[in-house]
Amino acid sequence: MNIRHHIGDDTLMAYVNGTLEDALSVVVATHLAICPKCRRSVSLMEDMAGLLLMETEAAALSATEEAMADMIPNRAHPEPHAQDRSSRTQDYSNTGVPMPLAERMPTSLDDIPWRTLGPGVSHYPLPRASAQKVKGTLRLLKIAPGKVMPEHGHSGRELTLVLRGSYIDDFGRFQAGDIADLDSDILHQPVADTAEDCICLIATDAPLKFSGFFSRLLQPVFGF
Amino acid sequence: MTSPDGIRQDRTGTRALPEELDKDLTAVGLDQDPSAFRRLFANLAPRLKYFMIKGGMIESAAEDVMQDTMLKVWRKAALFDSSKASASTWVYTIARNVKIDRLRKEHRPEPDPEDPCFVPDDPETGEQAVSRKQDRERIQKAMAMLPPEQMTIIKLSFFEEKSHGEIAEMLDIPLGTVKSRIRLAFRKIRTELEGLK
Ligand SMILES: [Zn+2]
Repeated sequence: MNIRHHIGDDTLMAYVNGTLEDALSVVVATHLAICPKCRRSVSLMEDMAGLLLMETEAAALSATEEAMADMIPNRAHPEPHAQDRSSRTQDYSNTGVPMPLAERMPTSLDDIPWRTLGPGVSHYPLPRASAQKVKGTLRLLKIAPGKVMPEHGHSGRELTLVLRGSYIDDFGRFQAGDIADLDSDILHQPVADTAEDCICLIATDAPLKFSGFFSRLLQPVFGF
Repeated sequence: MTSPDGIRQDRTGTRALPEELDKDLTAVGLDQDPSAFRRLFANLAPRLKYFMIKGGMIESAAEDVMQDTMLKVWRKAALFDSSKASASTWVYTIARNVKIDRLRKEHRPEPDPEDPCFVPDDPETGEQAVSRKQDRERIQKAMAMLPPEQMTIIKLSFFEEKSHGEIAEMLDIPLGTVKSRIRLAFRKIRTELEGLK
């Protein structure tokens, strides 16, 4: 895979320090699974955080806390090597997408029950991890060849990861694996530019804002 | 002794060299060495607690996160690989995940190297395979080169784990400025790291 569009450092840093919204984190983690370059950036940021951690002052510990230093080795059993955090209860290998996304998919990419939004454009909102009220949206979007996604802007951050096919907009050509990391007040209008459907994973931390007549018709469907 | 933020401090606390921490964590992983764990605890526990309080937690919550983190350090030490990360980096990521799980009650999406879709790193060339010690020193030097207004934001992000929005509010600057300073800071750090090779 030849990835040409990567995650912005500001977005990556929010992922590293744990402040990035869940929907956006899913897209970041899915890109990280296939992008060694962005994983190197994450390592650099974590190294910096580790260095800063060791430069901090030391808080005073209570006697109970001090006692943990002896209690933990006496009472707790180390986990065997094989029991990594990656040991999953489910097998996602048939979904055809990296795990951070596969965990949120009801079925494989080929069997998604798409909902039509307009001519050549359909979507599928993905279920969210927590029932708590969460900002932002996470959805799959499918654009038929030659079709245009409604022009839209953002009030927040939007991440688009191409899963299949490709599209072109003012920022260039985006192919499978590429990620578009767009900031607010940017308007763009992606066009699927090959013979294949273009399937993207899109997350926002705020509802999309559509412009134009056609888009205003879609607004009630898309943004909420 | 109390810090300016009202955090009770321990001035007598130890400060081991990063290489010593790496060695102790490896010893815990390989042999469940209790004295190595005690040394790690003396170095890490008071800093983790300080780190969490500084990040806005009340003291009892910071204690919980510290204890949970140190327990995980003991239990998962076998997974630590000193050729891949520093002990401080490894412990930071554990503490961060403990904190996220606590706040969001859901696990943070992460890439999984066991995933059939995972694209592994290119094999390292001899030039890239520098030791962790050199890496650490280079990153420290590169960070020292950052202009203060960029360093402030890096520190608020990693040290206090503030979101971009919170940083913008604290410093009374537009959100876009926070983001552009972060991007500038990392561009500079990467350039410095290239130059320090
Ligand atoms: Zn990338």
